[in-house]
Amino acid sequence: MRDYWLSKFFYDVQGAAAEYRADRAAFMARYPLKPVHKAAILADDVGTLARFVNPYLLRFYFSASGMKDDEFIRRLREAAPAEVGAPHG
Amino acid sequence: MAELVEIVAASHGPLIVRDWHKVLPAHQQRLTAAFRALGARLSRAKPDALVVVSPDHWINFFIDNLPNVCIGVGEEHEGPPEPFLKDFPWRPVPGHPALANHLYETALYSEFEPSVSHRMTLDHGFCLPLWRMELERLPKIVPLVINALEPPMPRVSRCLAWGKLVAKAVASYPENLRVAVLATGGLSHSIGEPTMGAIDESFDRGCIKAFEDGREKPLVDFLEGGMSAAGNGAHECRNWVVAHGAAGSRGFELVDYLAVPEVYVGCGFAAWNLGAPRSAI
Repeated sequence: MRDYWLSKFFYDVQGAAAEYRADRAAFMARYPLKPVHKAAILADDVGTLARFVNPYLLRFYFSASGMKDDEFIRRLREAAPAEVGAPHG
Repeated sequence: MAELVEIVAASHGPLIVRDWHKVLPAHQQRLTAAFRALGARLSRAKPDALVVVSPDHWINFFIDNLPNVCIGVGEEHEGPPEPFLKDFPWRPVPGHPALANHLYETALYSEFEPSVSHRMTLDHGFCLPLWRMELERLPKIVPLVINALEPPMPRVSRCLAWGKLVAKAVASYPENLRVAVLATGGLSHSIGEPTMGAIDESFDRGCIKAFEDGREKPLVDFLEGGMSAAGNGAHECRNWVVAHGAAGSRGFELVDYLAVPEVYVGCGFAAWNLGAPRSAI
């Protein structure tokens, strides 16, 4: 299942990473994000967010927000399979 | 009449450029050699136009408007927006609107309904192989986007049909034109999933064997049955299937295959046989 506004937020961060990093709260405020998604973003909760967006967008977002791949992969695997165990593609 | 003069495929993992310094020297050497080998083949073929088959990695399209197939019909296309491709040498990228529109019309009259873009941005999927192949001269590019990122995606059999449609369009193009096809992406890799970083060499070897063999049904069955378990990036094998169909399903010559954990991708490079047709399925 895809959440439109969470996906849109991730999509837009790709092209505005520096702006986002400078003021995350202000950037996030432009989107009608659900409270659970806002909380997950603020907590860098990879596992929760993975349930609602395309995996490529998830990766692009965390890369743009400054998380190293090793840490991103560690969090993905920590959350699997219960939270991010959906089939590939 | 136009003719197909070369059909090749190459992986396009972005870390091949972005994290090149982290790639083992032996892998660097083989990747460079493979890209150059394909570049040499394309240069020898002297194509006027190059149909490049790739997914769009959330650059042109989003879930508010997500075509499964899109043809770039513009006179030119935007170069890659990724910062690590800032030195990509051809900007804007020249298009071939006459061939692209002919492909579009041929599709519609053959009961295919792609979308079109008159100004497409070509991301690393298109541009990384073009750059790394060190082409002497960039042909005019006709981008053909096949959705390989967001399910549901086109069936493998449909991608094969799309390849045959490309061949049909080239064969019916009314002017002399040398046309090549470059399919990019694959083989196994996983992005943004718990298996990210995993490379499924068994899948990759089976995939290569099926393409080499050439027969359509075993290839379609193998990919439909195995792609989803080989990582979401493996869905890009659809692009190779388009190339396979364009080449008449005659099998291909593997230029190289190597699993490169540093870039998360089972990297494949191949060139299709354009000679006498093999026996059918």
